[in-house]
Amino acid sequence: MEVSTLAGVAIENLTKSFGDAVAVDGISLQVAPGEIYGLLGPNGAGKTTTLRVLAGILAASSGRVSVAGIEVTPRAQEAKRRLGFLTSTTGLYARLTARELLTYFGRLHGMAPAAVAARIDWIARTLDFATLLDKRCEALSSGGKQRVSVARAVLHDPPVLILDEPTVGLDVLATRFLREFVRAERDRGKAVIYSTHYLADAELLCDRIGLLHRGRMLAEGSPAALRAMAGGASSLEEAFLTLVAALEGGARPAPAPLS
Amino acid sequence: MMRHPRLATVALVYRKELRETLRDRRTLMVMVLFPLVVYPLMSLLLAQVMASKASKNAAHASRIAVSGAPAETAALRKTVAADHTNFALQPSGDTTDVELGRLDALIVAGEGRAGKTAVTIVYDETREPSNQARERIDRLLSGALPAQCQLTYAVTDRSIAPGAKVGGYILSKILPLVVVVMVMLGAFYPAIDITAGERERGTLETILASPVDRFDLMTGKVLAVATLAAVTGMLNLVSISLTMLEGIRLMGGATEALRIPWIRTLASLIMVVPSAFLFASVMVAVGAMARGFKEAQNLLTPIYFLCITPALIAGLGEYEMAGVALVVPGVNVTLLARAIVLGNARLVPALVVIASTLAYGGIALALAARLYDSERLLYADDQHLGLRDWLRRLLLGARDDESVRAPGVSASDALLLFGLAYVLLFFVFFPLQSHHLELGLVVSEWGGMLGLVVIYARVTRQKLAAVLVLERPPARALLGALLCGLSAWVAIGLLAQWIAPPPPELVESLRRQISPPGGRGLVATLLLMAVTPAICEEALFRGPILRGLASRLSPLAAAVLTGVFFGLFHFDVWRFLPTGLLGVMLSLIALRANSIIPSMLAHAVNNGCLVALAQLGLDERINTSRTGVQIAIFLAATAVLAAGAVLVATTPPTGSQRGEAPNDGGEAHNDGGNAENDGPRQM
Repeated sequence: MEVSTLAGVAIENLTKSFGDAVAVDGISLQVAPGEIYGLLGPNGAGKTTTLRVLAGILAASSGRVSVAGIEVTPRAQEAKRRLGFLTSTTGLYARLTARELLTYFGRLHGMAPAAVAARIDWIARTLDFATLLDKRCEALSSGGKQRVSVARAVLHDPPVLILDEPTVGLDVLATRFLREFVRAERDRGKAVIYSTHYLADAELLCDRIGLLHRGRMLAEGSPAALRAMAGGASSLEEAFLTLVAALEGGARPAPAPLS
Repeated sequence: MMRHPRLATVALVYRKELRETLRDRRTLMVMVLFPLVVYPLMSLLLAQVMASKASKNAAHASRIAVSGAPAETAALRKTVAADHTNFALQPSGDTTDVELGRLDALIVAGEGRAGKTAVTIVYDETREPSNQARERIDRLLSGALPAQCQLTYAVTDRSIAPGAKVGGYILSKILPLVVVVMVMLGAFYPAIDITAGERERGTLETILASPVDRFDLMTGKVLAVATLAAVTGMLNLVSISLTMLEGIRLMGGATEALRIPWIRTLASLIMVVPSAFLFASVMVAVGAMARGFKEAQNLLTPIYFLCITPALIAGLGEYEMAGVALVVPGVNVTLLARAIVLGNARLVPALVVIASTLAYGGIALALAARLYDSERLLYADDQHLGLRDWLRRLLLGARDDESVRAPGVSASDALLLFGLAYVLLFFVFFPLQSHHLELGLVVSEWGGMLGLVVIYARVTRQKLAAVLVLERPPARALLGALLCGLSAWVAIGLLAQWIAPPPPELVESLRRQISPPGGRGLVATLLLMAVTPAICEEALFRGPILRGLASRLSPLAAAVLTGVFFGLFHFDVWRFLPTGLLGVMLSLIALRANSIIPSMLAHAVNNGCLVALAQLGLDERINTSRTGVQIAIFLAATAVLAAGAVLVATTPPTGSQRGEAPNDGGEAHNDGGNAENDGPRQM
């Protein structure tokens, strides 16, 4: 498979080892602009490691990774400018106000002061937290923190969004808000990678899904295609269990072709 | 979008870190509350209490009784009774009255002989009024003259030091030390907060995913911590000066005789900036290794005390700001501050101090950027990659030579043995040695070192020969060790002499130990100071300590650490360098030869040469010869040392070395200690 250097995300034969331990073992995938790609798997499957390599936080042991046409390994800083990264922890500086925090990250992304200020006002209105802007992050509710965190990830309007377990610890309302936001970003032409171990969450949201197991890509395709691949499973969860059982039994199914 | 230049990024990080840290209550407490409120309040309270006590004491008339021979007693009573202000003469009393506090002192007069009366003052040293009474009686009686006599001299004291100089002298004793300590304290919490705190609050991943270079990030952080530390230091400096001024006023208002040299005190602020940068860099570098507050505190506390020690030494001693002291971190800034306050600082040494301190800070900053390693900080959560394993990997790479490892000795055993031997030596054997040198040496060497290794082998059920690696060495290694032993004492001795010359008193004291005034004999001294250390010190250091450390570290790192331990074991700052270097050399010999015997030989020959020369009175010749001659001797000794090193290094591996290292040149042998083998595959 050729790595696309045009847009979206492309990963080719990515391997990441820590000493003798292989966390990610030869994963390949592509995410097009305007697509939500779900990265699914149990804890320790290699999802977070894959996303951290993609975000330039960890260095790949081998393979190629590109974000919006920029290869991450030699040009990590450039790639990071085209990326919005939302972690499972909100990652906010508790003693800064929401406005100070957003200004800091906007400036780190190279935005001019006036542009940052205007963008913060717009995004706070859009995500409905304008009243929270001058409150310290430590004083915000979990929903408020999540909104500020989302705003931080998209402040510089990146073409690629990476969301790592974004709904962990969120209540129903906040989870719903997040889903709607992700769909809206997809509709604006963003390439979105959405990592989760909530299979139902992924089924509702993702256009395509990659199932990771023990650092390898177990199967890939649309939710319907994955269910079909598992012999007409009624849910993604059932499909996942069937595919894992097949793998543990020695027969590893080939990844489905890209849709 | 425009791209930020690096300075702008650093400034951005700096402002953010400063703002965030200043909103932390702990930082504010250390930075502002201590210097501006707590410290002056405590000092002034203390001064007030002392002043009130002093005036109360002055007003108190000492209760005195006189006993003894009747004739002398009458004369003494008359003398004491004449001083109504200081004494309240009691009709009678004895020692019990002094003990019970009914009397402040008792004067016991003896029989008068040759016109003199023997007087004993009985007092209680643990009671202040009693001490005061003794002083008063002392003063009264020493000034008592026969009626017909008058004093020949009228003595008046007049110090030529101006008030500012006296004030400067007192300040120079207190101020640099307190400021250095407070600068470090000012850096302590912010350093933890912006490194380990980032990790603990879950913001590390966010910042690492942003387009900011790690070095820029750490520079911004270090500068923010340095600013906070510098402000803490400066506030302390001003606070101490003002408090001292107020203290002087309270103690009697001697402001004319004792003035604060304000301009020089303010000029000493210059040392705050480089010290703050250095300590901030060091603390951020250490904090960067930690994964949480607790780990950072555990790591930084010993570093804090380690950093304070040189400042304490320089602050309390009377050292000159010259030579090596100019580049010893912590010592140099303390001495510079003192010199500035005293008004005797010179420009070039001052610039050397500032430049070297900034350079050390720069090195620590580069290290901080390297240590802020996302691989460990993020990955270690799941994989239990310990700090020790990670540091080893970072600094030394993966271990690829297991040939030197004795199966039963672990690194923790090595550290435990060293700690035990260190404590025993300090608390048991040193006092014994100072009481009786020869006996103390024999007991500490054979009991505290070899004996310790024997006990260790028995407790761990290992053969002593295996723990010591007491193997028959190749002849080539023995010859190399002999050459090293013959030359090392000259080369290392001269090197130490040039870098950090020991004080003459130390040299003289060592010479007296080797060649005591009563004489000991060459053979006895060789047995005591060459053969005994060669067997016993080698058994401990090149035995389980070296082998245990080599089980965890690379051979070079194990040899260096063993050398450091060996240097520390001699409990002497001046001997640390030569004994440390000797320790490294002996460790490398033992490792390469895979036997302790060559290092024992080299140690015996090295000490033997020193003993023989001192006994013959020839040892001073080398140190006092002209520089050209010294260089020639040094080069010749280094050539012999190099020849010995080559012989040892080219010794072919022994059978056991080959047998234990089947993977030489192939895959690294791993002892299964790596937690990552368990891998991330946890379903």
